[in-house]
Amino acid sequence: MSIASSSSRTVPFSLGRLGIVAGNTFLEAVRQKLFNFLLLLAVALVASAQLFREFNFGSSELKFISDFGFGAMVFFGSTLTIAATAQLFFSEIENRTALTILAKPIWRTEFIFGKFLGVFAVVGVFCALTTVLLLALLYHRETALMTANPEAFENGRIIHYGDLVLMGVLQWLKFGVLAAITLLIASFSNTNLYTVVMGFFVLVICHLQYLARDAYGAVASLPLRLLVQALGYVFPNFQVFNLADQIGIGQGIGAEVFLRVAGYALIYIAVIGGLAVYSFRNREI
Amino acid sequence: MTSPSPASAIEITGLTKDFSLNLRGIKLRAVDNLTLRVPEGEVFGLLGPNGSGKSTTIKIILGLLEPTAGECKVFGVPSGRVDSRLNVGYLPEAPYFYRYLSGTELVRFYGRICGVPRKQLDERVREVIDWVGLSGAAHRRVGTYSKGMLQRIGLAQALVHDPRLIILDEPTAGVDPVGSAEISELIRKLKTQGKTVLITSHLLAQIEDICDRVAILDKGKLIVEGSVDELVGLHDRQSLIVDSLPAAELEELRRWLASRGHALNAVERPRTRLDQLFLSKVSRPQKGGDAQ
Amino acid sequence: MKSNLAAFRPLWTGVLVVAALAVVGVAVRPVEAPAWRFVRSRQPALKLDSLQGALGQGVTVGLLGGFRAIVADFFWIKTNSVWEDNDLPATQTFIKLVTAIDPRPLYFWQNGARMIAYDMPNWRIIAEGGYNAVPAARQRKIDEEQSAVALKYLNDAFGYHPNSALLYVEIANVYLNRLKDTASAAEAYRLASLQPGAPFYAARIHAELLRKLGRTMDAYVWLKQLYPTLPKTVDPAKGVSEFTVESAMAPVVLSRIRELEGELNIPDSEAFKP
Repeated sequence: MSIASSSSRTVPFSLGRLGIVAGNTFLEAVRQKLFNFLLLLAVALVASAQLFREFNFGSSELKFISDFGFGAMVFFGSTLTIAATAQLFFSEIENRTALTILAKPIWRTEFIFGKFLGVFAVVGVFCALTTVLLLALLYHRETALMTANPEAFENGRIIHYGDLVLMGVLQWLKFGVLAAITLLIASFSNTNLYTVVMGFFVLVICHLQYLARDAYGAVASLPLRLLVQALGYVFPNFQVFNLADQIGIGQGIGAEVFLRVAGYALIYIAVIGGLAVYSFRNREI
Repeated sequence: MTSPSPASAIEITGLTKDFSLNLRGIKLRAVDNLTLRVPEGEVFGLLGPNGSGKSTTIKIILGLLEPTAGECKVFGVPSGRVDSRLNVGYLPEAPYFYRYLSGTELVRFYGRICGVPRKQLDERVREVIDWVGLSGAAHRRVGTYSKGMLQRIGLAQALVHDPRLIILDEPTAGVDPVGSAEISELIRKLKTQGKTVLITSHLLAQIEDICDRVAILDKGKLIVEGSVDELVGLHDRQSLIVDSLPAAELEELRRWLASRGHALNAVERPRTRLDQLFLSKVSRPQKGGDAQ
Repeated sequence: MKSNLAAFRPLWTGVLVVAALAVVGVAVRPVEAPAWRFVRSRQPALKLDSLQGALGQGVTVGLLGGFRAIVADFFWIKTNSVWEDNDLPATQTFIKLVTAIDPRPLYFWQNGARMIAYDMPNWRIIAEGGYNAVPAARQRKIDEEQSAVALKYLNDAFGYHPNSALLYVEIANVYLNRLKDTASAAEAYRLASLQPGAPFYAARIHAELLRKLGRTMDAYVWLKQLYPTLPKTVDPAKGVSEFTVESAMAPVVLSRIRELEGELNIPDSEAFKP
C-alpha cells in the first residue's frame, strides 16, 4: 500500500515543503562553513574599535565604531548575500540535485522560495550577530566614555540602541531584496560567475538609482528623459536603507520611517521573488 | 490508437520534444512522435544509443520538461502536474546528492518532501536504508560514499515514500558486478511487490535478465517495442542441451535429423555467463559499505 | 509555432520582468517617498565638483553610493595621520575634504577648527625658527592669519548647523585664546547661550567676560536674568538629572551676583531676591 496514496490526490502549495527546502539550504550554508568568515569580521570589528581608542576621539569615537560597524555589515553582507544566493542555487543545478528534488511532488515555486528563505535566514544570522557585536562594542565604549567624559553625555546616552537594532533589521531586509534580485538573475543565468557579476552590477545600480531620479527633470531630450525615469522606477532604491549614519551622530529613526522602509523591502521581495519563480518555471533542468 | 488505461503506469501518446537552439528557430528534435505504454506491475527497459531521446523522455515523464506536442500521463495524471509525481520514485543517472547530509538525513529530507507522515517517517527511513543494505553507513556523510553506495542511497531516496512507479536511469553505470547484481536483485524484489519499474541502461545483458518488456529508441523515434522473449527469441530454432556425445553418436544424430528434414545447425559447448562466474568467485559486500 | 514561440520565451520573460518591476516601482513610490525625503533631509547636498581631483573614481562611486559617513571617517583618520606629522598643507586639505564629504558631524568642524587655530600657528612658528627666533609681531600675525582661516571655516559650518551652540563656543574660544579679543568672545558666548541645548557655562562665561571688559552692570543684569532659568533640584519627570543641576551651578551664579552687588554697591533692599 503506497504511503503517498492514490493519484487522485492533488498537491496543494505547502509552506511546510517550502520550509523543508529552506532548512536544507540553511544547513548547507552552515556545513559549508559560510559563517567562518563571520569570525574574521568579528575580530576585525573589535580590532578597529580598539584602533579608534588610540586616536582619542572622545565621544565621537562612538560614531566611528558605528560607521565602520555598519559599513562592514553592508559590505560583507552584500557580498555574502550575492555569493551565497548564487552558490546555494547553482550547486543544485550543477550537481543536478535540482533534478532529484524537482522530480518529487514539489512545486517549483516552493523550491525557489525555499532557496530564498534559506539564504534570507543565513543573512539574517549574519545581521543579527553583527548587530549584537556592534551593540556590545558601542555600549561598552559609551559606558567607559560616560565615566571619563561626563559633560559630553549631559543628556544621557548618545546612541539609540533600540534604533540600532532597527537598523540591523532594515539592513537584513535590504539584503533580502538583494537576494531576491540575485535569485532572479540565477533563474535564467547559465553560470554562477555570471550571476555573481550581474548581482554586483545591479547592486551598484540600485545604490545609484537616486541619481536617475534626481536627473530626470534636468534632461532635455524626451526619449532620454523617459529612459532615465524608467531607470528610476525599475530598480529599487537602496539608498532609502541608508539610515545607519543616524546612529553614529546620536539620532534615531521614527517608527513611521522604519515601517515604510520595511514595507518597501517586503513588497520588492515578494514581487522579485515571484518574477524569479516565473522565470524558473520554464527553465529546462 | 491506444486509449488511456488505469492499468497503465505510463501512457505516452504522440510525444514530440524540440529544443530551440537559437532565435532563428533552428530546432533539435530530441523525441519524435513517440507512443508508448508501460503496463503497471512490469519491469520495462528503455534502450537506445546516446542521444536517442531516453533522458528527454524520462524528464518529460517526471514533469521536468514540457512536451512540444503530444501527451504523457502517469497513472492517468498528466505528467506536468505536481500530483503526477506523488507515486513516482526517481534515481537519476550518476546520482549526486547533498554531500553535507548523512545517508539518514538525506533519505529523511526526501521523505518529508514526498509527504511521508512524520509518525511513519523514522521507521520508513530505517526500513528503506536497511533494504538497500546501507544501515552501517547511514550515519556517514554522503560525501564519503563510494559510487555503489551512492547508487544504493539513491535507491533508498527513490523508495522512501513507497511509490508505485520507480524510474531508474542507468542504475548500474560505474557500479561493479557485485553491486550491479544486488541492484538487479532489488529490482526483482520491487516487481514481486507489484511495483512498476522503468529502467534505462547500456548493459543489455542486465536488461535482458530483468525486464519484462523493452523499447528501443533511436534519434528520438521508437524503433521496436515488445516483451524480451518476443524480441530476442529465435522462434524457428530450439536449443537442446545434452551430455557430451562421442563423434560417432553425434554423426548418427545428424543423420536422424536429416532424415526428417531438419538440419543440425551448430554443435557448441554451452557457457555460463562471465558475470555469474565473477559473482560465484568474489565475496559479497557487508551491510553498510562496499565489498570486504 | 509552439517551438518558435519557445525560442522567444527568454525575450518575453525579460520584457515581462522589466515591465513588472517598472509597475511595482510606480506603485510603491507613495510608500517609499516620505521615507526617502527623510533620508535626503539627513544628507546635505554632495558638492562633488569641490572634491574632484582629491578623490579617486572608486571613492567617488562610494560617496555617490551612500557611504559618505564611512569615507569621511576614513579621511578623518588620514587627517590625524598627517596632523601627527605636522604637515600643514595636507592637514588643511584633508580637514576641508572631510567636511565637504560629510558636513553632518559637528566633531569634524570643531576639531578641524582647533587644528587650524591652535596647532598650525605653532607649526608655522617652529618652521620659521621657533618661539625664541620669530619676533612677537610675526607670531601675532601668524596667529591672526590662522584664526581668520579657522573663523571662516567655523562660519561655513553654520550652513549645516545653524543653531549650534558649540560652534559659537569654538568661535568665542578662537577670539579669546588666539586673538585676545575679549569683546568678540563675549558676544560669541552670548550667542552660544541663546541657542537650544546650549551648555550652561556659555552664559556664565559671557558674564565673566563682561566683567573683564569693565561692563559690570551689564554682567549683573545678565546674571539676574539667568539665575531663575537654572535648574536647582533634580526632577526626573522634567529630565533634570543630578548632572544637569551640577552643570547649571546655580549656587555659583548666585554667589557671582552677590559679588557684583558688592562691586556695584547695590543696597540690600534692591539686592536680587532669588
